[in-house]
Amino acid sequence: MAENKRYFLEPAVLGRLLALPLHARQAMLGSVSGKHRSPVRGSSLEFAQYRKYVPGDDTRRLDWRTWGRSDRFYIKQFEADTNLRLCLLMDTSGSMDFGPDGTTRFDYARKLAGALGYFAAEQGDAVGLWSMADKPVEIPAKRGPGHLGAVLDKLADLKPLGGTTLVKALHEAAERIRQRALVVIFSDFFVPPEELKSAFQHLRFRKHDVAAFHLLDQRELDFDFDRPARFLDMEGGDAIQADPSLIARNYREAVRKYMVELDDAVRTTGVDYQRVKLHESYEAALVRFLLARIQNHPGR
Amino acid sequence: MTFLQPWVLFALPLAALPVIIHLIHLYRRRQVKWAAMIFLRAAQQMSKGLSRLRQILILTLRVLAVAAIIMVVGRPLAGGWLGLTGGAPDTVLVLLDRSASMEQKDIATGVSKRMAGLRNLAKAIDDTTAGHSHVVLIDSALDKPLALDKADSLLDVPQSEGTDTAADIPALLQAALDYITTNKTGRTDVWILSDLQASDWAATSGRWPALRSGFALLHGVRFHLLCYPEPAIGDLGVRVENVQRRESADSAELTMDVHITRRVKEGETPAAVDVPVQFVVNGTTTSEKVTVNGGEAVLQGYTIPIDKSTRRGWGRVELPADACPENNVFYFVFDDPPVLRSVIVSDDQAEAGPLNAALSAAADPERKYLSTTLGVAHAAEIPWPETALVVWQAPLPKPDDPLARNLADHVAAGRDIIFLPPESPDNVSMFGLEWGDWVTAPETKPAQVQWWRNDTGLLANTRDGAALPVGTLEISRYCTISGDGTPLARMEGNANVLMKANGDETAGGAYFMGLLPDPGSSSLARDGVVMFALLQRALEEGAQTLGKARQGFASANALGTDPSLWHRADPGAEAIIPTELPLHAGVVTSGDQMIALNRPPGEDVPRTVSTGDLNELFGGLDFRVVTGSLEDTRSLTNEVWRTFLICMAAAILGEALLCLPPRRFITPVRGEPSHAAPAPWEAVK
Repeated sequence: MAENKRYFLEPAVLGRLLALPLHARQAMLGSVSGKHRSPVRGSSLEFAQYRKYVPGDDTRRLDWRTWGRSDRFYIKQFEADTNLRLCLLMDTSGSMDFGPDGTTRFDYARKLAGALGYFAAEQGDAVGLWSMADKPVEIPAKRGPGHLGAVLDKLADLKPLGGTTLVKALHEAAERIRQRALVVIFSDFFVPPEELKSAFQHLRFRKHDVAAFHLLDQRELDFDFDRPARFLDMEGGDAIQADPSLIARNYREAVRKYMVELDDAVRTTGVDYQRVKLHESYEAALVRFLLARIQNHPGR
Repeated sequence: MTFLQPWVLFALPLAALPVIIHLIHLYRRRQVKWAAMIFLRAAQQMSKGLSRLRQILILTLRVLAVAAIIMVVGRPLAGGWLGLTGGAPDTVLVLLDRSASMEQKDIATGVSKRMAGLRNLAKAIDDTTAGHSHVVLIDSALDKPLALDKADSLLDVPQSEGTDTAADIPALLQAALDYITTNKTGRTDVWILSDLQASDWAATSGRWPALRSGFALLHGVRFHLLCYPEPAIGDLGVRVENVQRRESADSAELTMDVHITRRVKEGETPAAVDVPVQFVVNGTTTSEKVTVNGGEAVLQGYTIPIDKSTRRGWGRVELPADACPENNVFYFVFDDPPVLRSVIVSDDQAEAGPLNAALSAAADPERKYLSTTLGVAHAAEIPWPETALVVWQAPLPKPDDPLARNLADHVAAGRDIIFLPPESPDNVSMFGLEWGDWVTAPETKPAQVQWWRNDTGLLANTRDGAALPVGTLEISRYCTISGDGTPLARMEGNANVLMKANGDETAGGAYFMGLLPDPGSSSLARDGVVMFALLQRALEEGAQTLGKARQGFASANALGTDPSLWHRADPGAEAIIPTELPLHAGVVTSGDQMIALNRPPGEDVPRTVSTGDLNELFGGLDFRVVTGSLEDTRSLTNEVWRTFLICMAAAILGEALLCLPPRRFITPVRGEPSHAAPAPWEAVK
């Protein structure tokens, strides 16, 4: 049953991408030693800095060569390695049920989230799951294979339904995720960009490394309909009668304006923004995401 | 607007089909589950006003297109400019001007103004009333209403054929008014077909105000005036006057004055043309080439030798055929001239004496003159049939007086009357005129005539162009004249002293002269010239209808009450029914009587009434003027389905343009980069 529920995990893809590390773009405050930089000095092999000796310091860390040259006592500090808390924030609003033939945006998000969770767990990081819906799901980030299984099972159980509470949920997540974490959001972000910006700022204020997967279907961008239709709101709002031939131009203008504002929001808040179209493979999206993080990784 | 197939208009509600289909479509259109409602709402908000307007426009154009199709099938007729909207009237009265000038033809087609107008009218009436209206024809020659079973009969009945008569349009309208009033015709359309010739319309006649008042009292009467005023430029006309047989010791000849006129554009002096003129006398034809320089040529005293034994006969002068065939021929008759007999009715010898002397004097030594003076009490003894001129210096007879009837008949027969004022004028009127008051001039300064008409009439200039010395007359007293007539002379202060009563131009003249010849009243007798010319001209005019051979004008009464007594003198002439005989030019005989009938002089005067005149004549009435042209073969009512077809095409085209999807971006194939213009989100990225 477990294997069936975790259908979204494709071993072949996971095998190909396992070599790519999942880095945080900033120092993490982990509970155990790990692969990620910590803001505190530790005992890793990577030199960090010198500082003057003060009484009480461990004399084993004195740099005798420096004392020999300068006749002064300096403590040699090294970077600390710690683990990472990966918080997967899933938008489970009804609009996530939209997608190309046979698949949905939520399926796509589930594959991305499952793979990232798997990669994080593989490198010893803690993984947690948050769903942003009317009935929120909150699985705090923890380490261990058993916890990953619980996260993946929950991920499999989630269903997109109802109206969006994305902004509110992001604010709540910012408050509830107490320690620094890599917060990865999977959503269509169909909310006003200025509200989204506020939520991003909140998360960043809490020192989280925020990444956002903006999942879009090409049809939502093109609005390529040839006949008038009655458009039913997948989030339960009022339906709209529209003739695409009459409003397509304005629709695209609205999309363009939205994109400009959203781009501004993510740029000013420092969110690692990944715009993904559902017709591209999620593997490619993951590779792009992970490689970008390697390039932006501050190093040891 | 009317339709040839009006029942198709019942399908007009089908024009609402696009709206109905739109509504059905609205509720049955496919449903799409959509996630990006945020963009859809924003787009709708942006295009709210424009989109709705466009949608309304599209629906309107679709409705118009369907309506236009239905209209096309209904075969609409354009006749709104004739006021043909509102359905068929109860009665259609056609007032037809059958005057000679209406026979002006289009040389290319041979269709006259009368015929072109009748065809147009018949079709228009048939199209617009579809046989639902009573059609009544009143023609200007007979003035009698004739009910027609259908509009097409206008082209067939004898009452619509051409004549050589003049038209009396006020009389025609009076006949229409009488018919409408008598027969309670309901909603009536009065169609007047005329060439607007001024002499026929008599725009200055006092009958017009009465007509306007009469029609204004009627409800539902509309006038449609179909007119063909275009002149025939270059048209030649001929008129003959003073035909006399003269005899010498060994020969005889006919003398006549031949006037050839040519219609020219105003202000234009055309080149001279040589016109072959044919003279036919008792079947013998001679020809003469006459050069017409400018607008007129006159052969004064033209002589045609005839056999000495020929004492009476008839003939004609002919011009080559042109646009107006009616004025290309003029008939004349000749005979031993009758005695120029005049009767003076007066109890005052001081007045009668000079008059008698002037009328007895032989202006033409070859003719006999006889003037008789009768007292008022013996006025009944006037030998009416032989009298050319009556000079009446006595109180006017009252309308119920038999003498009044005799005087009226005298004038109707083409003779002349000159009324001179009695010492005590009363308010009795005759021929629309009556005496006013005596005006006495100061003894030291006699009054003088300030204005007189010198182009025509009794005071016209002499043949050599010299004016009569009317202005030098010394007038001690004069009697004013009031009423509806044509002024011929006026004193200071516009007081008329010589007027001609208005009336049928084919009748004789009835003149009112406010001057007396006695020395105490004026110098008429002393100076003599004016009085002599005036009386001799009136005598000559009245003598036109005297004798066994007479000149006359074509009119319904030209041959008396029984035209069947007359027949054409020319055995080769076209046969014609007796009732139409007096309406056509030609020479007719009855026993030893012979009459040459010709078109009235007014028919040769090309002047027409203007639009301003028409507006004044029909002021306050519902009337429309439609100006036709002989070259214009279009019908009064045209099928205008093409217009609606164009409207439909325009509506469909407009609808298509509005439905045209906006220029769209070329979206890349999924997974492939776009080589076309980047989509906006791509640009942002």
